[in-house]
Amino acid sequence: MKSVIKYTIGILLLILLGTACNKYLDETPKGSITTTSFYQTGNDLQMAEAALAIKFNGAFNDISGVYYAADDITTKRNGNKIEMSDFDIFNANSSNSRMTNWWNYFYAAIKSANALIANYNKATLATDAQRNNAGGYAYFMRAVSYFYLTRTWGEVPMPMDVALMENRPNAKVADIYNLIVADLQKAETMLPNQWDGPARHDNVDIFPTKGTAKALLANVYLTMAGWPLKQTDKYALAAAKAKEVIDSKATWGYNLLTKFADIWKIGNRFNSEAVFACYYNNQIPSVPVENGSQLAPNPFSPDYEEGGWDDAFGEIAFYNKFPAGPRKDATYQKDYYVKNDPANVVTWQNTLQKHPYFLKYRDDYSYDWATHKANNWWSSATSFLIRYAEVLLTYAEAQAMSSGPDASAYAAINQVRQRAGLNPLTPGLSVANFRDSVVAERGWEFAAECGIRWFDLVRTETVQKVNSYRDATEPPLANQPSDANHTYYRAPVPIVK
Amino acid sequence: MVIFEKKIGLLIACIFLSVIVFAQTKKVTGKVSGPDGTPLIGVTVLVKGLGIGTTTLQDGSFTITVPEGSKTLVISYTGMENLEVPPTDKMNLRMRSKNAQLADIVVVGYGTQKRRDLTGSIVTLSAKTYKDQPVLAASSALQGRVAGVTVTNSSGAPGGAVKIRIRGANSVNANNDPLYVVDGIALGSIGLADLNVNDIESMEVLKDASATAVYGSRGANGVVLITSRSGATGLPRIEYNGFVSFNKPMKKYDLMDAVTYAKTANLTAGAAVFADPQSFAGKGTDWQSMLFTNSVIQSHQLSIAGGKEGMRYYVSGFYVNQEGLLINTNQKRLGIRSNLDVKLNNQMDFGVNFYVARINSHNNDDMGSKGNPVMGALTWAPTEPVYKSPGQYNRFGISPIWLNPYMSIRERNNDSIATVGVLNGKFKYAITDWLTLIINAGVDMNIAGKAYLNNDWISAGNMGSGQSSSENFTFQNSNVLTFHKTFNKHDLSATALVEESSNHFKNFNASGSGLTSIANGYHNLGLNTAQSISSGYSNWSLISFMGRIAYSFNDKYLFTATMRRDGSSKFQGNNKWSNFPSFSVGWKLSNEKFIEDLKVFSNLKLRAGWGVTGNQAIGPYSTLGLLDGVIYSYGTVNVSQGYTLGNPATPDVKWETSKQTNIGLDIGLLNGRLNISADYYNKNTSDLLLFTRIANYDGGGNYLKNVGKVNNKGWEFMIEGTPYKDRNLSWSTAFNASFNQNKVINLGRDSMLERPYSIGDGLFTNSIQVVKVGQPLGTFYLIPWEGVYQTDKGIYKAGDARYTDVDGNGSIGFEDRVISGSAMPKFTWGFNNNVTYRNFELNIFIQGAHGNKIFNTTYAATAVPTSDVKFINLADAANYWTPGNNGSTWANPGSKNKSWVESTQFIQDGGYVRLKNVSVAYTIGKDILKAATAKIYVSAQNIVTITRYKGFDPEASTVGGDVDAGIDLGAYPSPKTVTVGLQLKF
Repeated sequence: MKSVIKYTIGILLLILLGTACNKYLDETPKGSITTTSFYQTGNDLQMAEAALAIKFNGAFNDISGVYYAADDITTKRNGNKIEMSDFDIFNANSSNSRMTNWWNYFYAAIKSANALIANYNKATLATDAQRNNAGGYAYFMRAVSYFYLTRTWGEVPMPMDVALMENRPNAKVADIYNLIVADLQKAETMLPNQWDGPARHDNVDIFPTKGTAKALLANVYLTMAGWPLKQTDKYALAAAKAKEVIDSKATWGYNLLTKFADIWKIGNRFNSEAVFACYYNNQIPSVPVENGSQLAPNPFSPDYEEGGWDDAFGEIAFYNKFPAGPRKDATYQKDYYVKNDPANVVTWQNTLQKHPYFLKYRDDYSYDWATHKANNWWSSATSFLIRYAEVLLTYAEAQAMSSGPDASAYAAINQVRQRAGLNPLTPGLSVANFRDSVVAERGWEFAAECGIRWFDLVRTETVQKVNSYRDATEPPLANQPSDANHTYYRAPVPIVK
Repeated sequence: MVIFEKKIGLLIACIFLSVIVFAQTKKVTGKVSGPDGTPLIGVTVLVKGLGIGTTTLQDGSFTITVPEGSKTLVISYTGMENLEVPPTDKMNLRMRSKNAQLADIVVVGYGTQKRRDLTGSIVTLSAKTYKDQPVLAASSALQGRVAGVTVTNSSGAPGGAVKIRIRGANSVNANNDPLYVVDGIALGSIGLADLNVNDIESMEVLKDASATAVYGSRGANGVVLITSRSGATGLPRIEYNGFVSFNKPMKKYDLMDAVTYAKTANLTAGAAVFADPQSFAGKGTDWQSMLFTNSVIQSHQLSIAGGKEGMRYYVSGFYVNQEGLLINTNQKRLGIRSNLDVKLNNQMDFGVNFYVARINSHNNDDMGSKGNPVMGALTWAPTEPVYKSPGQYNRFGISPIWLNPYMSIRERNNDSIATVGVLNGKFKYAITDWLTLIINAGVDMNIAGKAYLNNDWISAGNMGSGQSSSENFTFQNSNVLTFHKTFNKHDLSATALVEESSNHFKNFNASGSGLTSIANGYHNLGLNTAQSISSGYSNWSLISFMGRIAYSFNDKYLFTATMRRDGSSKFQGNNKWSNFPSFSVGWKLSNEKFIEDLKVFSNLKLRAGWGVTGNQAIGPYSTLGLLDGVIYSYGTVNVSQGYTLGNPATPDVKWETSKQTNIGLDIGLLNGRLNISADYYNKNTSDLLLFTRIANYDGGGNYLKNVGKVNNKGWEFMIEGTPYKDRNLSWSTAFNASFNQNKVINLGRDSMLERPYSIGDGLFTNSIQVVKVGQPLGTFYLIPWEGVYQTDKGIYKAGDARYTDVDGNGSIGFEDRVISGSAMPKFTWGFNNNVTYRNFELNIFIQGAHGNKIFNTTYAATAVPTSDVKFINLADAANYWTPGNNGSTWANPGSKNKSWVESTQFIQDGGYVRLKNVSVAYTIGKDILKAATAKIYVSAQNIVTITRYKGFDPEASTVGGDVDAGIDLGAYPSPKTVTVGLQLKF
């Protein structure tokens, strides 16, 4: 009996030892996705595109301090606005926290884009079109991310694959532009004219199309022609690309909306003027941060009068120059309801901050026009990055700079002016005067729109110039930028790179 | 302890069971009395080696049939020393009280040992130590009572988080929680807080590596072995324990009145935000009073324990209803335990322990985010009313950006219901008198459901509801073969173990928005117009082999060696397996002639040990490089799943290893009335499992590496004594102290790693803590604050906050940060006193922690304008610098230069001395109540705290880890409590 028990125990132990093979210790992450099982089907590619989209969206769901350096936008120099104001008065240092959203989200998008570029071709279960579109999308997103990075910081690290590198050196600005151009040329051929599935609704493509790639390439060429590269041969290329977009605008469904104010209506969050934009929604269940927009009523509303945050308002000199008309009326708020009382209305001169506030981004599901009160700090506002109006103005400027201000250049800018309620531009302007008019026009048209004005000032080397008009009531500049030496043309590189 | 002895008695009975030739038997009678001569009822009388036994009757008498040839009877009883006597007729036995703890049997990993034979550093905490205190959780029982164990009540929420560390923290990224083992089952799915503290008979804290190495890859952070209560042979004992506690906030912040607030806000805004600050005179909302409330806790526990020949039971039920200090927060817990031990025959025993409880929490979770109600209560403008009009909340105030905190907590509807349990079955087979097999199989589980309903106040214009459910099971099977034999002066025991553990986790979440009506609560998610679902799964497993040899010679020289080999699923390839050896020696000097002759020491023992343990407490799949799942909506309300490249795969990652040396001395003096224990330890943790930050230009995130080394070394002292004792009055006292020095020795190629900051964005904007070589974990890294400028200097105006430009670049920023102390306490202590006078008992328990810093973000948020809180509210800050008030160090709120939250201005001394408990108990004996004895007690807890910390509670902390510890970001404070309790024993 006893020996039987002993043997039983022995066998029992052996069985237990036997199970101790490594199979018991294998890891099978059933609830997760591994790189080996991903990037195979068309659906996988669509999920990779969605993830890339939201990384990029993160950069534009909030104000960036970087473009406060321009002359269209400012804020008060008090309390928690000091870091944004530091850009406004050329005092930002590398610890400034109001620029890290751009740095971090653009590079997060680049990482996702690099991963998709490395893998889209492996999706053997997807169609040729799906693979091509995914690749084109990734190239486009990498290009647009680097375009923002280099315009903001100049020389920056330029990872082109997903390998990690500590202390990665900065790439030369010219090399970054070469990559951007090469990527966009690939995107131009690989992207579709029209997306299907969730990337297109209300007849608007949420994702970039061939047309978007061309429009961005036109912008890139225009920028390359200006500071710092000053490759003036690029004006012609910019004009040609912009013309392609204008000529075939029906292919992609681009058009100016009839009324400027309509662009900013929440019901027009998807509209035909959007060539490239980031889309948000604050109505979805348990809103993840990047799915809601903070270009929202609260940051752009006056504090004391309407309970907003005073995060951004218009510079007075710029406002004063801004030509009157329906565009100005849609850009700036006219009536301010003291304590949200519609019966107690003041003008901007009588607000606490004595500045006009922007009306763009104001309309939202969460905004009550009757009292000017918002009940949510997330909004569903779209961040327009390239509107069709910009394609027209890019063409006008590039055409003038390469072939002179011909009729087609006039026609392009006048389309924009006409909608703004302005007379056609004075005929017969010199190249320089025409160009200055276009740049000014861009300023009015795109005031407070995600940095367009700031980048125009930098590429045209007019940062110092426009600041010479700065209104005396604005916070004084801590440092003087120089158009000759290009000081304060670039944001300080974040302390945590 | 006594129950252990009884168990051990049975065990010894089994071990010594040999082939017995049954011959004749004889009947033996006797009577057992206590030290004072009164008869003892229910004393266990066993024939040694046979397991034949009985218990004494009402008059202390017993009758037992003893086989011829049996030479010894074992007599055992609670609190008394065991007697071993030869069976004679009409015995008259008097038992002696137990001499302190010296005679105890201690539960060690996978077995037991006599306390006097221990070579490792193991401390026993018996339930008796805290019997008259309203203890709701096992962690409160441990706090301040065991040298080397640091307990911090990070959250005062009902059932809130508690941090327990044994001999400091070893790991940067892996978990630093000790391993909890309940009746042999290592908890993998639930925590210490999920147990019913009243069911605990004792806790053994295994501190050094020679004690914990038998737990190998799970032993690096120390091990707490929990033994649940079991029945004793005899009449059923019914016990009721109940108390009611009344809680109050320990303190309040001194905030501005509405007039001062309005004036200061005007200054901050640089304009008349409030046209007429004086109009608020006598008005204003006291948000702290709105949110904090006096609350009540009720606890009831009923148990019945007993046994008959061959069968013992302990059954208990409990109910706790705990209201939080914050309104509309509470937790209810109820559960049952049934422990059953059955003797099948002379060789076989089995036992089944079963514990299951239900924990219902209401609004108790997610207090960590910056806009939490505590932060809201302190930062919301006193000028704001709670309601705009009757029934209509004032949703947004002028500052901060967070929602009305009263509304947020009052309207919140967030429930969590968890069913937790530990079940195990144990089979013991005494193969021979020297060989025993124990098979223990068990599971611990947590089946949890959560649900929320966001009404129109919580989520304006977009109501919604959601539910989630998860199940988490950890299975364990341990098979232990124990050998024990003595030959002459040699005593040898050996243990072999095969163990398998595996954990399974599944969850799913469903949430929706666009709910049109809240009439259905969160019970019909289909009513949401937009919906989203997600689910998850994980699994880990562990296989272990362990061998241990313990040898003693002549009861003087002790030697133990162990080896454990673990295989873990969390690592890949050859890194799955590793070995964890240990050895230790002990020298019982008090058994040496030359010490005995001194007649000073009742006990004197020198111990030394060394061992290796591991830490594999990282999540499953951490090394695989999984894709990151994200949600994208394409601008619509319908969400889509997206995936992108996550952190890279790291197949080379292996265990974190701790090597620990321990030297200890146990001294017993005055015949055991004074016991002193001292330990020195030195613990080196290498191959740290470190999540290393990936540069933001490479996409950010982090990946796991084995780099670096952390050292913990320190001293522990424990003094226990009975300074005075006579028939009516006795005073017993225990003091323990621990000094721990924690230091990062190296970090591979780096000398410093900044911590990602996971909380507080909008209040601070860069990490405020680093891991740095030469510094302890939890080190703060802040911009040095110098007060205010007294005169204008450059762009700075008099009255602006002044900081040191450490790097001299002419501008203040994060380059200027310096090391500014650590969140890790250097010295912790506890001082416990019990005075008994006749039927009265008085307990005074004081506890303290020193040498740690806290970054008080809560305080900072009330004192400096930030992106989230634009106007300040702290009363002190209203006394800001002006030319006429140049003694103030508070910057002018109207300053045009930035005041940094991330500065040393807000680092505060976290040291404290706390009167943790004062209680008086009175016992009414059976002579009065006939059927029962009753004990009534009144206890006050946390009533006095001496601290320089300026927040609510120096224990409260928002982040639970060690490297990001010591940040108070609206941490939920513990209350001060007065309790009335009653114990009835039938």
